[in-house]
Amino acid sequence: MTVLEVRNLQKSFGQIKAVRDISFSVNAGEVFTIIGPNGAGKTTTLEMIEGLVSPDNGEIHFGDLDWNKHAVSIKKKIGVQPQSSAMFDLLTPEENLNLFASFYDHARSAKEILEIVNLTEHRKNHVKKLSGGQRQRLAIGLALISDPEIIFLDEPTTGLDPQARRNIWDIILHLKELGKTTILTTHYMEEAEKLSDRVCIVDQGNVITLDSPSALIEKLTDEREIRLSFLDGEGAAVDADIFSKVLESVSKTEREGATLKIWAAKPEETLLDLFKFTKEKSFGVEQVSIREMSLEDVFIAFTGKEWRD
Amino acid sequence: MRLPAKNGGIKINRYHQFKMMFLAQLKLTLREKQAWFWGIFFPVILMVIFMVIFSGNSDEEFKTEVAVVDPSPNPASEMMLSQISGLPVFEVKSGKPVARDRAEEWVKDQEVDAAIILPGSAEASSVTLLINKENEQGAAAQAVSGILDKFIQQANLMAAGASPKYDLQYESITSGTNELDYTDFLLTGMIALSIAQGGMFGMVDLVDMRRKGLIKRLRMTPANMGIFGLSDMVMRLLFSIVQIILLSLIGVLVFGANLYINPFTLIIVFLIGALSFNALGYFFSSFSKTTEAYMGVANICSFLMMFLSGVFFPIETMPEWIQPISSILPLTYFAEGLRESMVYETGIATAGLWAGIGVMTLWGAVTFLLGSLLYKRKAIAADR
Ligand SMILES: Nc1ncnc2c1ncn2[C@@H]1O[C@H](COP(=O)(O)OP(=O)(O)O)[C@@H](O)[C@H]1O
Ligand SMILES: [Mg+2]
Repeated sequence: MTVLEVRNLQKSFGQIKAVRDISFSVNAGEVFTIIGPNGAGKTTTLEMIEGLVSPDNGEIHFGDLDWNKHAVSIKKKIGVQPQSSAMFDLLTPEENLNLFASFYDHARSAKEILEIVNLTEHRKNHVKKLSGGQRQRLAIGLALISDPEIIFLDEPTTGLDPQARRNIWDIILHLKELGKTTILTTHYMEEAEKLSDRVCIVDQGNVITLDSPSALIEKLTDEREIRLSFLDGEGAAVDADIFSKVLESVSKTEREGATLKIWAAKPEETLLDLFKFTKEKSFGVEQVSIREMSLEDVFIAFTGKEWRD
Repeated sequence: MRLPAKNGGIKINRYHQFKMMFLAQLKLTLREKQAWFWGIFFPVILMVIFMVIFSGNSDEEFKTEVAVVDPSPNPASEMMLSQISGLPVFEVKSGKPVARDRAEEWVKDQEVDAAIILPGSAEASSVTLLINKENEQGAAAQAVSGILDKFIQQANLMAAGASPKYDLQYESITSGTNELDYTDFLLTGMIALSIAQGGMFGMVDLVDMRRKGLIKRLRMTPANMGIFGLSDMVMRLLFSIVQIILLSLIGVLVFGANLYINPFTLIIVFLIGALSFNALGYFFSSFSKTTEAYMGVANICSFLMMFLSGVFFPIETMPEWIQPISSILPLTYFAEGLRESMVYETGIATAGLWAGIGVMTLWGAVTFLLGSLLYKRKAIAADR
């Protein structure tokens, strides 16, 4: 079931075309991730959907509801954690939640939300004393206070340390268990891969591609990068390089000292042949790896650009 | 799908929302140290310093300066003159009787607390006391007339059993609206200044909220922004009331200021003044991108007004070319209005008062409209 559909969104700020053409639809209960480099137009897209910025062009539908006629109903249906994660710094998490609860006629209790975002212990500290991760969790908590069906999280993990990021992942996975629909933006590929049912890659205001992470990776070439380091030094690597070049499935090799990189369409077969060869020559192999393709490669394949986060 | 446990679903009504927003504002104000420093501590310190420096002749020593007028010297007047000179509490200015005109001038200018006019002939039976109207109820005036009263009783007794010969006539001179005791003057000026500054500086919160994205955040919820604005306003007015009460208490209890309050006038002047200066702050906030920019503008305006609006010294004491500027500044009229309502007990139906209220209202309305216009112009959000 589709809970949100956007079609041909466009938005310019003066000369800057922040969003050129973005369309997608989001299904109930999924984690839908919009990923793209800084300035790709993620926040602008979300703000149009959240009713904060009016699009120059395009349509936004929450089922039968749209902003022109049903602003209040939509506001009650959605929960938003904006990128700036704004809240009252001189109030405590509990007070912030209680205040936001008063804006809705069906709100959840601050106590429940504090448990979900794991802030019960810090509920009486002023927000300005919280760490980045705790603050971000409260921002998510504020988005949850109205018990919304659709939750928007704009870069909830940016700038956090790995542990704090993992805590937020746990919250997002918990929301999924509860059957909520989450629309997430990030510029961490790893995060998108781990959490999302579907990923929408955007760059320069356009949708590059959209599918589940595994489907996107499968769309890439079958070729994998194999890496071998030899115990017996450069000589062994040179011999192995010469040997592998003639193998059928190998398209390219690259050697750096005693380390050899081989690109092969059928990596398992190539490895088998290689190990036969090293056993024959009794070369010792120190490390072997096949690099998995990731969303990063998908981005590179689709845009021809390096991925930097 | 809804989450399992629910919060009994508090039905929101406007009142509940107002209550929660007001409580939040209250906590924010109580926890903001800056607000306390600039809103309470700073004006109190400033007032104390000015009062200690400029109202130096405190009446701890029971001595009051009087002028004596002896229109046509006669035995009776001479007798009284020598008696008065002998009283330790009276210090006769210039040591000898002066002309009546001179004495009246001194009273007007408050160079003396009172002028005593001695009987014109041995047969005349009245002693006249001239007192500045501003001081009529003041401690010095009360003291002079009390002492003189006693003195006259003595004189009557000395007139050997005859029916009371001398009685005290009481006249007062007023010199217009601007000469009043400096303590009262400064106190009302300080109250006006601190409320004005509260308005002009206080709206920095709005810039801060906008910069942090809090305004945007609230607009993502169904929160009623009108109620939010109202709760903010009520909080600010309450804070100003605390300022008035605190400064008045210190002025009256520590520095002996004399307040004769007309409550109705005071409420009107206070509300119009406080709202106008908040509108001014709102206007500053509409074009300031950063809190620093806002504070810069607010500082310049408050600094100018502080010295051009007769807060510390009467406008009449300033160079003449400045006075036209003073006469368009809202703080001039706010301070004046507070003086009228807190010291002169002026009723609301005074033309001068309404002119002042008009000027303040004009400032408030114009700046509020300009501010709203600027906010609309660059509204980040579509008004749906
Ligand atoms: N209010 C605005 N005014 C002008 N330019 C903006 C505004 N908001 C965003 N932009 C520009 O639009 C582009 C997309 O921004 P944004 O949507 O924030 O990207 P992302 O969230 O993907 O980093 C950027 O070039 C940004 O500078
Ligand atoms: Mg962004």
